[in-house]
Amino acid sequence: MIPELFGDFLAYQIGLYLIYGIAAQGIGFLWGKTGVLPLGQALFFGIAAYLTAITLRAGNGLVLDLFLAAAVLIAISVFAFALAALIFRGRNESGPYFSLITLALVMIGEQIAGTATDLTGGFNGMSGYPSLGNIDLFDGYYYVIVAATVVVSLLLFVLNRLPANLVARAVADNEPRLQLLGFPTHVVKGAAFALSAAIAALAGGLFASHQGIVTPTSMGFGLSAELVILTAVGGRIHVLGPLIGAVIVGWASAELRDSFPYWELCMAVAFILVVLKAPGGIAELLETAYRHIWPERVGRQPGYIAAPPTKSAGLTGPLRFEDVHLKIGVVRILNRVSFETPAKGIVSVIGPNGAGKTSTLNTVTGNLRVTSGKIVLGEHAIDSRPPYMALHSGIGRKLQVPSVFFSMSVSENLAIAMMANRARLVDLFRPSTCQWRSRSLSGMLAHSSVPLHEGIVQPVEHLPQGHRQFLEFAMTIAAEPQVLLLDEPCAGLSSDETALMTNLVREYQADTGGLVIVIEHDMSIVEAISDKVIVMHLGQVLAFDTFEKVRSNPDVQAVYAGGTK
Amino acid sequence: MTALLEIDMLTGGYRDTNVLFNVSARVDAGSVLGVFGRNGVGKTTLARLVQGSLIANKGDIRLEGRPVGALPAHVRRERGIGYMPQTSMVFDDLTVRENLNLGRNREAPDRYFERFPRLAERLDQPAGTMSGGERKILAFARAMIEDTRLIVLDEPSEGVQPENIEHMAECLKDRAEAGAAIVLCEQNLTFLTRISSWYLGLDAGSVVLDKPAAEVSVVELRSILSL
Amino acid sequence: MSPVLVLNLAWQICTLALVALGLAIVFGKLRIMNMAHGEFVMIGAYAPVITSSLGLPDWLTIPVCLLTVTFTAFVLERLIIRHLYGRMFDSLLATWGIAILLREAVELIFGRGYQSVSPPLAGTLHVLGADYPAYRIAVVIGIIAGFAALYWWNTRSRVAIRIKAMVGNPELAEAIGINTARLSAGAFVFGCVTAGLAGLILAPTIRIEPMMGLDYLVRSFFALVVGGLGSLEGLGIGAGIIAGTQSLLGAIANQTYGYLAVLTLSILFLWLKPDGIRSSSR
Repeated sequence: MIPELFGDFLAYQIGLYLIYGIAAQGIGFLWGKTGVLPLGQALFFGIAAYLTAITLRAGNGLVLDLFLAAAVLIAISVFAFALAALIFRGRNESGPYFSLITLALVMIGEQIAGTATDLTGGFNGMSGYPSLGNIDLFDGYYYVIVAATVVVSLLLFVLNRLPANLVARAVADNEPRLQLLGFPTHVVKGAAFALSAAIAALAGGLFASHQGIVTPTSMGFGLSAELVILTAVGGRIHVLGPLIGAVIVGWASAELRDSFPYWELCMAVAFILVVLKAPGGIAELLETAYRHIWPERVGRQPGYIAAPPTKSAGLTGPLRFEDVHLKIGVVRILNRVSFETPAKGIVSVIGPNGAGKTSTLNTVTGNLRVTSGKIVLGEHAIDSRPPYMALHSGIGRKLQVPSVFFSMSVSENLAIAMMANRARLVDLFRPSTCQWRSRSLSGMLAHSSVPLHEGIVQPVEHLPQGHRQFLEFAMTIAAEPQVLLLDEPCAGLSSDETALMTNLVREYQADTGGLVIVIEHDMSIVEAISDKVIVMHLGQVLAFDTFEKVRSNPDVQAVYAGGTK
Repeated sequence: MTALLEIDMLTGGYRDTNVLFNVSARVDAGSVLGVFGRNGVGKTTLARLVQGSLIANKGDIRLEGRPVGALPAHVRRERGIGYMPQTSMVFDDLTVRENLNLGRNREAPDRYFERFPRLAERLDQPAGTMSGGERKILAFARAMIEDTRLIVLDEPSEGVQPENIEHMAECLKDRAEAGAAIVLCEQNLTFLTRISSWYLGLDAGSVVLDKPAAEVSVVELRSILSL
Repeated sequence: MSPVLVLNLAWQICTLALVALGLAIVFGKLRIMNMAHGEFVMIGAYAPVITSSLGLPDWLTIPVCLLTVTFTAFVLERLIIRHLYGRMFDSLLATWGIAILLREAVELIFGRGYQSVSPPLAGTLHVLGADYPAYRIAVVIGIIAGFAALYWWNTRSRVAIRIKAMVGNPELAEAIGINTARLSAGAFVFGCVTAGLAGLILAPTIRIEPMMGLDYLVRSFFALVVGGLGSLEGLGIGAGIIAGTQSLLGAIANQTYGYLAVLTLSILFLWLKPDGIRSSSR
């Protein structure tokens, strides 16, 4: 409606702000969900803008132009995916290094664009080409931009409703946990980065046609930073936030920049205030105000549907350590560890603090790479597999300090756990996947004394440590691993809660007929649940036998007395 | 005589949500207050309110009669309140030696190396590379050697092998006999009953038991801890 | 290599190390991604301009520089930075805002145009068979001496450990009696003051203008990335590699290649060795 109401020139300007807004939406998606902050989005924006300019100059006709545009979008997505996946592979956090790499890349891009005169027109840029399909820039083209904005926004809104959104948020929340649930997080981040890059490229293509000139600044650090600012001011969480930011900031700058000398100062102050006081940006302020007037209706909890069976791991059988050594720096953590567990049953690992119990489990899940030796599950060596492969090998893990998705509710935590080892790629894009519930999980939650209430919508960071123990246990068994590794599941639990937890462990083992390995200090628990006991001391296996024999072993008595709560 | 620590009608929690309601208690020098209760009843909140990383919304905390409830944590430490948190209890990036020497200490850690020889072996290793139980022990030793008069400990026994829990109990007894007051938030009844001279039982943020140890039976303790 | 090239290299490496020192403290230690670091260099470089515009004698330049930068850094830390510890990306954004703020403020006061100042030491010295500006030689010697003193102090002082403890676990640091508010403010202001001093030292050799900070910021970041956060040796190595690559390639081929080589090198380090060459503890 803008052209009719306010004239073509304003529409032309708003069109430009929307273009920036689209690119910022891509940043908002990546940053708001996965916590990865891209500082070089102008690289994709600029590449697409230059390629569009070159294509339009060639005058191929609209059909071929659109076809080429699609090809460019795909190529940029593939490049961005490969870049992010490669850089994030083997890591489990999104520290500043990736942001700095994107920053360096955009600076390289800007430098090349400015000096490769034959290709890009150098400092003066490229101009003098027709617009896309020869649409009138001051009239019809505005609607093209609006259409693109609507399409991108709808796409992001739909994504918000899908299980994939939960997975993306889980990356930012607790990446190591997501890996242990079997998600290759570098692929998730790669895909999110690819989408944000494609959106930036789309904006860049629209920009080239809209402005009729492309210069190195379209591919520069300055533009990258500005896009991030627009995203932050508008709000990175809400889909429309970056658009709001781009239009408001763009329009206000155009109106005030020349008439008000302190404009830039005020902008800087406003920006700092947003970062400090309103991390959700303008969009969140608007939403809060809106919710004040029209409170959100508390939706009826959607029913559950039976989860599909887990993917068969194919790997079961005894877990065997063959002469495993582990050194970190100069410190010897594990020293000639060899043992073979039975194929099923409950095995307890005991030993003094610092004996290497947790490290042993870490080598099984791939969180630590063994220095030498072999770890075999059934017939397959698993010692060189990364953590996200552990669950595919049939290994589930509960960590020592309960590791859950702290910013999410109990039911969101469980929903992600239900996807683990079950969801195929297509399931991540089906809303019903969030309603999956397996019988064994329902069974556990039905225990009246299990302190997990799905009605609680608050993030689980407010749960006490002991309740998080139960949540993490529930999440771990939701994937129904054949081999369950539990690291001090009863730490911080009262004696009644301890009894409940040991019952749950026993029930799980009986139901699945698999192998459970438990690290535990409380000898009464160890005695009650163990088929076999491994005693570790100074990184070595001191004894491996039944509880009775271990207890009467003089070597064991010398280093470990034991006791009960 | 005023107690070393007096807590008077304390109400507080995280931001606007109160977790504790009108909790009062007193600890004399040389005695051990065993604070217990199920998960989520407010033990950690009480520990943090006394130590200063949380500020109470209502009520008073007095150390030797002087109010400390509004002071920041580092000033309370200077007044003599030591603290061992439940989680993140050591400086992961610092070595064991640096962890032990960072604060203002009353004694060298040597005495504790006899009871916890593991610490002596790992002096130059970053604390973050140690196991969970070892970190608890390091944090405990650090809390012991500081020149404090009141020591607040939040679940020190979690993940620690039973033998070392024994050692912890002995160390705490020694400190109490040397005149320190101890606030011990624990779930481990064996540990708790070994050294507490007074019990403070919490449920849903309120005091449900406040008696000298001699008057409390283990059955009574268990009934408060049960689900 | 010609003697002038060697001397230029020494000058480039020393000044970059000094410029990056403050960022090594603020980013490396306090974990604040200070995008306004270059602006503190800029303010320091304006100190002679401020001094003369206030009509003060030249010998007051250094106090004016210290006062201006300390005051600016302290106010910003109390108002803004102290909310940002432990929030790295937010610190990046907010300090980007601060950078714009400082640039605009300086532009409003002194205008957009270039300023220049003359060095306090004129003339040249004959070193290594070449004539080289005496001021630059004095600065190189001064910086090397300064770093040696800092290194000596750092091995003795417990401040570095206390800062590391505070950043790693602020709540526990408070609990053992560290006044974290004072320590972090002190470290931030110290880092900014070294940047300001670097600006003051560079002032006679460059064109002073409000936008000059960005280049120093970028090169400091890359020096830290290559050298590794957190150690003085790493800082020296990083500055050596970045300044060395840039000036050598700049001399052999041209500036663009030098710049591209530095960027490529940084990307490789960030990707393959994100802890830098020296990721060591202190």
